Amino acid sequence: MGKRDGDVRISLQTLRALEAFLENPSDELSGADVQKRSGLASGTLYPILLRLESAGWFVSRWETIDPVTAGRPRRRLYRLTPSGLARASEIFASFSRGVPA
Amino acid sequence: MRGHSLRTDEPARNVRHAAATWDLGVARRLVSHAAHKAPPGLRDRLEEEWLADLAARRGTFSRIRFGLGCCWATRVIARDFGVAAAAGNSASGQSLLVAHGGPDFSRFSRRTVSLIAIVCLHVGIFYIYLTGFAGPRVVDRADPLKGIVIDRPHRLHPPTPFPQPKFTHTFLGAVPPPDPRLEFPADPTTITVARAIPPDVPLKPAPPTPVRRVIGGPGAGFPDTEDYYPPAARRLGEAGIAVVNVCVDPQGRLTSAPALGESSGIRMIDEGALRLARAGSGHYRPTTENGRPVSACYAFRIRFQLQDP
Repeated sequence: MGKRDGDVRISLQTLRALEAFLENPSDELSGADVQKRSGLASGTLYPILLRLESAGWFVSRWETIDPVTAGRPRRRLYRLTPSGLARASEIFASFSRGVPA
Repeated sequence: MRGHSLRTDEPARNVRHAAATWDLGVARRLVSHAAHKAPPGLRDRLEEEWLADLAARRGTFSRIRFGLGCCWATRVIARDFGVAAAAGNSASGQSLLVAHGGPDFSRFSRRTVSLIAIVCLHVGIFYIYLTGFAGPRVVDRADPLKGIVIDRPHRLHPPTPFPQPKFTHTFLGAVPPPDPRLEFPADPTTITVARAIPPDVPLKPAPPTPVRRVIGGPGAGFPDTEDYYPPAARRLGEAGIAVVNVCVDPQGRLTSAPALGESSGIRMIDEGALRLARAGSGHYRPTTENGRPVSACYAFRIRFQLQDP
């Protein structure tokens, strides 16, 4: 079982999803983008995204495009919140310095 | 967020231009099916989001896998947010939690469902092995045994005897003797037998009368062996007996050169014996038959023996 941060269970898959956002925290990524970066399966990724969004780590919005003009449907974009970024950074920093006993 | 989720006609319109391939159709059906299993407040949002992400995928396997993954994600999301709604302790996720108030999807955990599925699978396999894929059996039952009550015992009739054969005696009379094929010529004193001896068969000679045969040998005036003892053999002290075959005429003379019948083992002794046999020609005692000398061949032994000095 992974470490719990608030109501979010920090599992290895959660870390991989967070890592995809930490490459450039200001980016807004769709589920397909995160899947490409993290390699997580859809059955694993989307529950994590919803879980982190419910916990306030992410915010999401619909892409503002015209589907007819763009030739594709609009996507749901996720972005790290400042608190989410701080928590994620702290978690990864703890892995760098080691977990205290 | 709720405003977006209420636009239920958006997903179909947004993906209308997608390639209508079969795998995409199957994946879309999977995604739609999964989204409808999600908590009510998330259905539309998840369907649109997943369909948009599905449109970005290429490849049949990737699309089908994505659709199946969404089915699994729905179960996890339903369980997560069912637990969260019961707890109600997440302030930041309140908008999501308020959005759905569906049934409790966490009645069976994923692990429990997996365990039940595995048990059912094993039970099924065990049942298949027990029955051997056999269908319902049709048991063909024989009629039950029925007892037959015999009112009165039937008296067994003795078997009818076989009719005795009737023998008829026929007297064949005396057996005629074998026909010797005798021909009686006109002359009653002469009898000719039909089975005569063929003329080409030679007649057997009359059995010979016994002959008293006396084998000949060295006769009077036959040379002395000492005179023909090989000197070299005498010096070496060698002695021996040689058998010599000779053919002698009625006058006691050799008719052919004597031959060595059996060697003494010493070459010089054998040569001395042959010389002695040649030298004795004319002094042989001829073989006689019924007292009459005849020509005959016979063998006799010649011994060379050292005399004591």
